[in-house]
Amino acid sequence: MKIAVASEGPDLNAQLGYKFGTSAYLIIVDPETLEFEAIINPGASARQGAGMQAAVLAISKEVDVVLTAYASPTVRRHLLDAGISVITGLSGTVRQTVERYMQGEFEQRAGGEQQFTAGRSGINRLAILNALRSSARQFANLLPILIGVVLLMGLFNSFISKEALDSVFSGSAGLDTLWGACFGSILAGNPINSYIIGGELMDLGVSMFAVTALIVAWVTVGLVQMPAEIAALGRKFAIVRNSVCFVFAILVAIPTAIIFNTFVE
Amino acid sequence: MKKNGKNGKSWKSAIRFLAFPAIVLVIYLILLILMPDETIQAFKSCGGILRSLILPLCLVFAVMLLLNLFVKPAQIVRFLGTGAGVKGLLLAVAAGLISAGPIYAWYPLLKDLKEKGAANSLLAVFLYNRAVKPFLLPIMIVYFGWIYVVTLTVLTIIASIAVGYLVGALVKERAGALL
Repeated sequence: MKIAVASEGPDLNAQLGYKFGTSAYLIIVDPETLEFEAIINPGASARQGAGMQAAVLAISKEVDVVLTAYASPTVRRHLLDAGISVITGLSGTVRQTVERYMQGEFEQRAGGEQQFTAGRSGINRLAILNALRSSARQFANLLPILIGVVLLMGLFNSFISKEALDSVFSGSAGLDTLWGACFGSILAGNPINSYIIGGELMDLGVSMFAVTALIVAWVTVGLVQMPAEIAALGRKFAIVRNSVCFVFAILVAIPTAIIFNTFVE
Repeated sequence: MKKNGKNGKSWKSAIRFLAFPAIVLVIYLILLILMPDETIQAFKSCGGILRSLILPLCLVFAVMLLLNLFVKPAQIVRFLGTGAGVKGLLLAVAAGLISAGPIYAWYPLLKDLKEKGAANSLLAVFLYNRAVKPFLLPIMIVYFGWIYVVTLTVLTIIASIAVGYLVGALVKERAGALL
């Protein structure tokens, strides 16, 4: 059995950290032998996603229980989904907390602690409710921009003439694909918007080479997200990946458009 | 104090989300005064687009719900970091296909994976496969049809492996990387 304890220090005599995601260390303890491993909590220095990083660490260490003063509902949910029980509302040193756990003290819930036990069934009412809540939030986040794009496409349909579009997208497979990939690399956001823009452009007579390159580059090449990608994965990785993806947006668009033109039109 | 901070943040977030449609609406109002006929035509065109989106958007919500119910980011990241060779490659493809949410939410997790030794090639494969969004396929099918969606999906997955190989070869891997 393995227990992860959110701690302020790297040993068993350290006090429990307040939050699971941002405490300085995670101490992974074998409660039978009290052998432990102190790991610097990756969430402690994270600007965002601290709880998730700590949860990923606990899951990768295959712990059975997490003991902490506080864990957010989202983090708790991810731990429970991975089969890890969570007990919150705790205080004291790491050693005292593990010993109290082993004595079964927390099962009586006398000190205001809360125990969340990982179920084996996978789906229950709470899981469905959480999934509904997450989906509603994702959907609500998607709608404003989507409505803005639809409004913009309405203007586009009404005000941009076919001649104006033809001056950019000439019908040449090579040039159209290149332009599509360029626009897709600059534009960003939920890909649903690229489908709407691509679909409307197609109705206006823009070639599938341009439309497909725009759709592929929209997600795979991210000039707007480049600073965040550099910060997370390194400058060289971000530059090389985006450059290679730009080339592949073109390489994927050409055969896709040829197949579409052959079988659909 | 903390509550005020949170409220301020949610206001900023609401403004950020609503700014774009609000700006487009202001453009509509200006155009309605200057060119009323064309602007009314634009509104009608929007109505047509929105009507065609209602059913696929319902499907989008249903697939989103299923993915949220069965697919957890922590699990995806966990199995993304565990495989090597062909198994690792297939896991990276699968993780990219089923991953959802904005890319910003994934960067901290990918950074953590990279620091633990995940190969650049696998990270590139994962990021490329995010181009295929299962929950958005209903919208894509409405616009472009089945043949297009299947072709693009298959070619994207094949291209992801080539992109992964190239990124892995061009960006120097650290010793002990997974692929």
